[in-house]
Amino acid sequence: MTDTRNLVERLPNDIGGLPADPVQRVDHELLPWEKRCHALADVLDFHKIINTEEKRCGVEALGAELVGKLTYYERWIVAFANILFRKGVLAPTELALKMKEIEARLVAELSSTRPSP
Amino acid sequence: MSEVGHDHPHVEISQSAPPGYYEIMETAVRELLIDKKLIGADEIRRQIEVLDSRSPALGAKLVARAWVDPAFRARLLADGRKACEEEFDISFYDDTALIVLENTEKIHNLIVCTLCSCYPRPVLGLPPDWYKLKPYRARAVIEPRAVLAEFGTIIPDDVEVRVSDSTAMVRYLVLPRRPDGTEHYSEDQLAALVTRDTMIGVVEASVERATP
Repeated sequence: MTDTRNLVERLPNDIGGLPADPVQRVDHELLPWEKRCHALADVLDFHKIINTEEKRCGVEALGAELVGKLTYYERWIVAFANILFRKGVLAPTELALKMKEIEARLVAELSSTRPSP
Repeated sequence: MSEVGHDHPHVEISQSAPPGYYEIMETAVRELLIDKKLIGADEIRRQIEVLDSRSPALGAKLVARAWVDPAFRARLLADGRKACEEEFDISFYDDTALIVLENTEKIHNLIVCTLCSCYPRPVLGLPPDWYKLKPYRARAVIEPRAVLAEFGTIIPDDVEVRVSDSTAMVRYLVLPRRPDGTEHYSEDQLAALVTRDTMIGVVEASVERATP
């Protein structure tokens, strides 16, 4: 078997049956944005904008390196953005500008709500 | 929770750290879709409430009822989703089927999603992180007994271990065996024995244990 054959036959999500470490029973309470991301996924599914399989596929399309490095909901939101670009729902520039605007807004909100020392 | 007219686009911001890149991306995607009227701000808020309303306590009620009511058990096994919707008023907010797998003296069931993180969310809430991570997903299908042992669960050799791999459309729930010595328990007392992990199949229901 060539060393690339396995990469062709197994996409990043297809890990069933591979050797892996012992199960560590880890869990965490979702952060507010993670829960919003989950709700967003469900709402996108209700409206048939992105269904569950498209989401899974979109995560896989991020490639092994990103799938390995991003956390669960980080993968989702990046996959959503890419899928929405591909479907022509959003444009990359539009998202970049909106992110800039939101970052400025959130930072401003944060500094205005932070108690002065 | 109040549902007053409130079209402020963000749902909640309750943190003190500066927002991260991915959080900003989430907010931006959501607000752009709301601006384009493709989704409603209220829909996100309502879905968060739905997510918050789902927990293993719902699944535990189903299991306890199935233990005390053979006719219900038969209906639950025949069509899990229908039994949840019609008899427990548990709505399925996605297009998934629910297949309930009954543990018996001869069969122990375990559920996994090797490709991602599919899980019977309408009846158990969101899956724990370990369910979504590589070790469980990779190994549950190839060496389930070794995985079960890591949860402290030893299944006798003469009991078949069946692993069911979930998909985007088909979700599974394990109906654990009713522990011995619970003949006098009420349905509520029985439900208290049914933990999340018993319905994933990584542990058995027990009168001693009340872990997740």
